Amino acid sequence: MRGLAALRTLVVVLAALVIVAPIVIVVVTAFSPTDFFVFPPPSLSLRWFHEFFSLSEMRDAFSLSLELAVMASSAAVVLAIPAALFVARRSGPVVTAVQALFLAPLVFPTIILGLALLLFYRTIHMPILPGLLLAHSVVGAPYAFRTTLAGLQSFDPALEEAGHSLGAGPLQTFFLVVLPLIWPSVLSGWLFAFIVSFGELNTALFLTGPGHTTLPIEIFSYLQFQGSQLVVAAASAIQVAMILIMVAAIERAVGLRRLVRA
Amino acid sequence: MPARSLQSLGWALALPPVLFLLAFFVGPLLYLLYVSFHGASTSDLYNAELTLANYAAIAGDPFYLRVLLRTLETAAAIMGLCLAVGYPVAMLVAKLPRRRREIASILLLLPLMVSNVVRAYGWVAILGRRGLVNIALGKVGLIDAPLALLYTPAAVVLGLATILLPYMVISIANTLASLDRRYEEAAQALGAGPIRTFLHVTLPLSSPGVASGLLLVFLLTLSAYVTVTLLGGPPSKLLVSLVYDNVVSFQWPRAAALAFVLLAVALVVSALILAVLRPGRVRGRGR
Amino acid sequence: MADAAEPPDVRLARVSKSYGTVAAVRELSLEIPRGVFFSLLGPSGCGKTTTLRLIAGFEHPDAGEVYIRRARVTGVPPYRRDFSMVFQSYALFPHLTVAENVAFGLRMRRRPKGERGRSISEALALVKLAGFEARYPRELSGGQQQRVALARAIVVRPAVLLLDEPLGALDKLLREEMQVELRHLQQELGITAVFVTHDQEEALTLSDQIAVMRNGVIEQLGPPRAVYERPETEFVASFLGASNLLAGRVTDGSRGSKVVVEVAGYRSSVSGTNGAGEAVRVAVRPERLRLGLAGEPGVAATVREIVYRGAATHVYLESAGGPLLAYLQNTGGAGQSVRPGDRVTCSWEDEAAVLLRA
Repeated sequence: MRGLAALRTLVVVLAALVIVAPIVIVVVTAFSPTDFFVFPPPSLSLRWFHEFFSLSEMRDAFSLSLELAVMASSAAVVLAIPAALFVARRSGPVVTAVQALFLAPLVFPTIILGLALLLFYRTIHMPILPGLLLAHSVVGAPYAFRTTLAGLQSFDPALEEAGHSLGAGPLQTFFLVVLPLIWPSVLSGWLFAFIVSFGELNTALFLTGPGHTTLPIEIFSYLQFQGSQLVVAAASAIQVAMILIMVAAIERAVGLRRLVRA
Repeated sequence: MPARSLQSLGWALALPPVLFLLAFFVGPLLYLLYVSFHGASTSDLYNAELTLANYAAIAGDPFYLRVLLRTLETAAAIMGLCLAVGYPVAMLVAKLPRRRREIASILLLLPLMVSNVVRAYGWVAILGRRGLVNIALGKVGLIDAPLALLYTPAAVVLGLATILLPYMVISIANTLASLDRRYEEAAQALGAGPIRTFLHVTLPLSSPGVASGLLLVFLLTLSAYVTVTLLGGPPSKLLVSLVYDNVVSFQWPRAAALAFVLLAVALVVSALILAVLRPGRVRGRGR
Repeated sequence: MADAAEPPDVRLARVSKSYGTVAAVRELSLEIPRGVFFSLLGPSGCGKTTTLRLIAGFEHPDAGEVYIRRARVTGVPPYRRDFSMVFQSYALFPHLTVAENVAFGLRMRRRPKGERGRSISEALALVKLAGFEARYPRELSGGQQQRVALARAIVVRPAVLLLDEPLGALDKLLREEMQVELRHLQQELGITAVFVTHDQEEALTLSDQIAVMRNGVIEQLGPPRAVYERPETEFVASFLGASNLLAGRVTDGSRGSKVVVEVAGYRSSVSGTNGAGEAVRVAVRPERLRLGLAGEPGVAATVREIVYRGAATHVYLESAGGPLLAYLQNTGGAGQSVRPGDRVTCSWEDEAAVLLRA
């Protein structure tokens, strides 16, 4: 039995290693002063970060990703709240269908969605930026929906009734009673949608265009066509840094542990 | 049920978001399906005549069938690896006390938040000609010339398996953690040792987690264009690469048809997984 | 009490409500006059909570009408009806202080701020929580939360105060304390109250009127004393306190409003209009059963078991009329000692017996 347990520990350590190693290597490489990939780097330097911010296409991609993420997650939340309110207190086939609709983008192959939107946008002459925003809103909506729904389901319905019994109409009850109590769930949905949008590849692949790329697509282009410039590592490190900042924000606002508990 | 005015408010509530998703999710997909039944056109997006040519071409061309096979093989390898490595890790995580389990869940979520392109780049840095592995092997003197580790199916499998592993672990760990321990205790009281208890009780009862883990890993593999391209390159194109190729060459109807073949593959394999594992018969048990 | 010419504060007219195939409330009609403390009493599933929620508007009746103070409110949403409610779980808003909780209803009614402050202080003083304004619900004990819930409900001076088993979560001592306070408050303010409970003692203590409910209908409606001492059905007889249920036969019918009933050889004169020869069920409260020596007039019985209960002794007997239960006050006098196996006779005063409806 001890042998099996030791073997399992080994597997766990190996698993942790292979999952984390690629990310760590990229981030560390971003601080390398050399021209080409050297690991471990001989010293640390911010050379490639300077390079990153000096390249207009990199800067633009970064700011587009950022703006897009903020707007798409806000849109996702605005979509998700009414839908979650509808689903939370009811049951029946329609409710199940709405819930399935909102969770579908989670499992549906996003590459197909990207292609579908591309064709659709071309047909209705949708400009790039709004098109991207709509696509990311669709992709992010399930995350906002899930967390908001979880928050509503753990919300005591008697509190809403108490609001009604004191004369508060549905809208008033929502803003004065429900929202103040579920805002952590809503916020964590927003943050998840942000993270997803910021790293999203498959719809951006088809929907971005010259002059309008997101950071992950810019990284991908560089890797495909410009090879070994370590500026890509710096771009990647910045992507990871944004994620960590968001995660820290979740922890401050809601507490990460509460999130995984749901 | 609340008074009638609240009821109708509820419906009005759900309508705008539902309409939005219908317009920008379901609608475009239906449109794509429609396009897949048309011929190519040089001036327009597609030719006006309805035809099954695209699907016929895909079905009849051995090239497409080869790629399909490669896709399925790669996906199977990735699923197998994720399951083989993920299950023991999930067992460990599930047995942790609550607080540590929550921390483990957070640690598992973190890599998933990093964009796939960054994670794939990491593997490029490890497996490339001037990557870590080759440099290390060269320094130690085991090889004279750098090995071509990238642009192989193995690189794709390795890369995607490590990228998707946390999904499998989280899936299985959640199911295991919510299993009532008394099932295992009952088995032991009836005389089953640890291995038999695991095989006959724990493993079957964990099938919902295994099923959802496999489904998730499979679906994400099908869609992972960037990772497949970076790690597999031209020699190891999968179905998703063909979709992209047709798009950049403006073969919209063909691309659409390939996309729906991809979807069909997703549905068939998903149904298979669910049929084999039958997680439904276990659901509802456990705490 | 209420002026007979004034309309009732609450009126339900043949209200029915079903959930799927289960009928929770069946053609229920009732009227509650102003200022009355009205209890809906019954076991779980009898429909009392559904009835309350129909008055509130949280449930919509399948048939029938609901009126609050002459206004027809069927179909009107709860936030436009003139009532307030104390919930079983208190439902205090966790993100608001005690004062803000109490102020909520006043805010909804747009009372000016100055007036609000005064009303809040008054309400909190009434429930003996003056000074608690800045606290949050999570900082309060169960009993204190309960009082805040009460203050929040009464500060708006509603037409009707609805209470859904509000004392259920409190321990016995606190409960009884709160019962007294609640009753005083209600009487002082003259608010019409509808109170749901499954605890018959609570209903007897608090109410001006009790509606005993079972399977969606009211089995008996009346003041506590009437419902307790003159139960009309077997269910009411055994739900409120213990009851001896005896099978008997009418020997002499209609001597005016009374009949003579014979139970296992013992005759007593009971209110009723049944004809001679009819088989009837007679209910006698254990505390009204008198034990006498063998040979005295009464139902012959044998003592099976005695249970000492502090203030009283419960005596279980077996008789020709069925099993019997008697409560004997432990007043310390001699002749109190009954032992298992003793042969005794059980008798009762005529007024102590009640004929039950079939």
